[in-house]
Amino acid sequence: MRSIRRGAAVLALLAAGCSQRPAEERALKDLRVGQVDANGVAFTVEDGLAVVRKVEPGTLTLWGSAPAFHVRAVSSAGATEEWTVVVRNAMPDAELSASVGGEPLLVEALPEGPLPTVKTWKVRVPAGAEARLTVAPPLWDQPMPFRFAALADVQEALPRVGDIYRRINADPTLRFIYFSGDLTQRGTVEQLEEFQSRLLESRIPLFATLGNHELITPDPRYHEYFGRGNLHFTFHGVHFTMIDSGNGSLDPRAEEMLDGWLAAGRDAVHILGTHIPIVDPIGVRNGAFASRNEAAALLAKLANAKLDLTLYGHVHSYYSFSNAGIPSFISGGGGAIPEQFDGVGRHFLAVEVDPAQGVRTVSLVRVD
Amino acid sequence: MMVRLWVLVLAVLPGAVQAQVCEARAVGELPAQAVPAQVEPVSLAEVAPARPRFEVLPAAVSVVPGLLLHGMGPLVAGDTATAGRHFLLEGSGLGLLLAGGVPIALSGASRRVIGPLYAVTLAGVGVLSISTLANLYGALAPAFPPGEVARHLPPLELELGYQHVVDPAFDYRHFVSVGALARLERVRLEAGAKLSPGEGNVRVRVGGAYRLLGAPEGARAGADGTALDLEAAALAHRYPTESFTLAGGELFLRGRYDMARFSPRMAGSFAEMGVGFAMQGYVYAGPVDDILFEQLLFTFGYGVYLGRGGPFRGEAMLYYDHRKDDFPGGIRGGSGVPGYVGLRGRMLLTGPWGVAAELQAGSAVVGRVSLVYALGGEP
Repeated sequence: MRSIRRGAAVLALLAAGCSQRPAEERALKDLRVGQVDANGVAFTVEDGLAVVRKVEPGTLTLWGSAPAFHVRAVSSAGATEEWTVVVRNAMPDAELSASVGGEPLLVEALPEGPLPTVKTWKVRVPAGAEARLTVAPPLWDQPMPFRFAALADVQEALPRVGDIYRRINADPTLRFIYFSGDLTQRGTVEQLEEFQSRLLESRIPLFATLGNHELITPDPRYHEYFGRGNLHFTFHGVHFTMIDSGNGSLDPRAEEMLDGWLAAGRDAVHILGTHIPIVDPIGVRNGAFASRNEAAALLAKLANAKLDLTLYGHVHSYYSFSNAGIPSFISGGGGAIPEQFDGVGRHFLAVEVDPAQGVRTVSLVRVD
Repeated sequence: MMVRLWVLVLAVLPGAVQAQVCEARAVGELPAQAVPAQVEPVSLAEVAPARPRFEVLPAAVSVVPGLLLHGMGPLVAGDTATAGRHFLLEGSGLGLLLAGGVPIALSGASRRVIGPLYAVTLAGVGVLSISTLANLYGALAPAFPPGEVARHLPPLELELGYQHVVDPAFDYRHFVSVGALARLERVRLEAGAKLSPGEGNVRVRVGGAYRLLGAPEGARAGADGTALDLEAAALAHRYPTESFTLAGGELFLRGRYDMARFSPRMAGSFAEMGVGFAMQGYVYAGPVDDILFEQLLFTFGYGVYLGRGGPFRGEAMLYYDHRKDDFPGGIRGGSGVPGYVGLRGRMLLTGPWGVAAELQAGSAVVGRVSLVYALGGEP
């Protein structure tokens, strides 16, 4: 029965693939991430960099998709003014600041719980005003070197992912996990919930895009849990872009977004992550974009925008190569069925980046 | 255990059903035909025994449950020889699919073994697909007189056409298509170009083939279409708007099997399968140190001959092509693995004139129609 369901899912995925734009609906979903009207206040997370997880009278709960993000709160007359803002998957040192027309609002940090990535504040949003809330660690917009972890492809190894988080936790210089898709095996609600609960073992947040395995379930709910598949953020002067390649392609709507992000990051260090490699160095396998010419066109665009690094998942091993002259790594070491005979096993990458110099080192960190 | 089960099914089922339909055979008796052991072509006269007549029940059974268990239609019609071959063909396809697919899954698509394993898996998919289409063709074909392989094709064909591409990843739509095909004994030379006047996008492919086995297309002398060709080609594809150029070379081994050898029910049809390898490089605007990228080439298809010995001659084929670098790209949704599907036809109509048409669906949908002008080789 299970194999029949799996076969049906594969057929459904292939049928979706026969559509010329299988990722269009997801690109449209991206645009709706982080928006909610509650108790007379319209909240909009700028650039969709956080998911609205829950709204209760006077309480807004978000899931962060980036180290720093802004929330616009447009309050109508008579709206609720006292708000508790809960941010899950936040940077451990994140702070909330808020202002109306440039004037700071009073923010009260509530006592820390046991989880370093869950932060809670109280803020008063005056009725009839437009406030801007910023959730970010100190100096997040100041250029300075930092390190982060790159990980992908946990899938069916979800029960064992804690090993990887413990290895990441052992390195206090890593600021966040940059996750290139395939969090789960089939993308079901149960698996997304499990991924989320096991992430509590990590002391740092995880910012992700989705992979093809998140799309196996007939009703993918990834966006409701972890946010946009296509997103862009900056941290300490470095630009990060993630694109949704879950169907081995980039939807034209996502490409429009990408064009803007490439222009914004052209003169800065810019790192792109996506699940399915744009090209696979093992060409006969082609665990890569479905059209090599689309892949080449995208790479030409990335090279022209002086992108500094591409990070991929999907292939459950480690590869270092060059695509269109851009240094590139495949690191699908999250625990899914490993590529045999490669001597790699579970691993992640530790990336050291300096906004003044570029990507300084990319190190393979073995877990097993 | 599964293998034993399959052997049992393949060995016992035809006999068991045969016992139940022995009465029906009295009406629909078919001459059993041995499968020729040799690959060399045989003459059309040798493979043109009496064809069965069309029957509704076997045709219906060929669909349900025949789409799952190929050969049920012929079995109901009392043609146990064809049914047995169908079961063997389907079983072989499944066997190849498992022989390639299971190690791929277990090895995590390891770089060390993936090329041969994909070839085996695709061969399994190909055999299964051919078996499926042959099953349907065999059910319906008796209702129509079959086409015949062209006894000889012209030494030179020129074509001019229009190609339309709908690809969300590219702005181009309209292409002029030109091509030439020369046949010199066992050698076939081909050259073709597709040019988008508006975009400047141009793809040029030049290649040739040597017929290792089978009669030359230019002079079949009554032989059937079974053949084995070794092909080589070079291609360049320039994308000026997107600022890159693809260039590469490839080798390909293509086999065609005239399905009349499989069963008289299949007269007028053929199956194709081929495997090859390409090495390609992408040239971008700036200096790059990229590696050359390989590509596994694989194709299979099922086709029919058009015409019956007169000036009207040609063929049409439904096929799968594993390559990802052509205009259609691969089907989205298979993590980059599947190629595209296509339907193509080429026929000489009257005098030197003919037409060719092709429809392909992968990442993009591509349609192409061409006018063909043949020099020499009148029927």
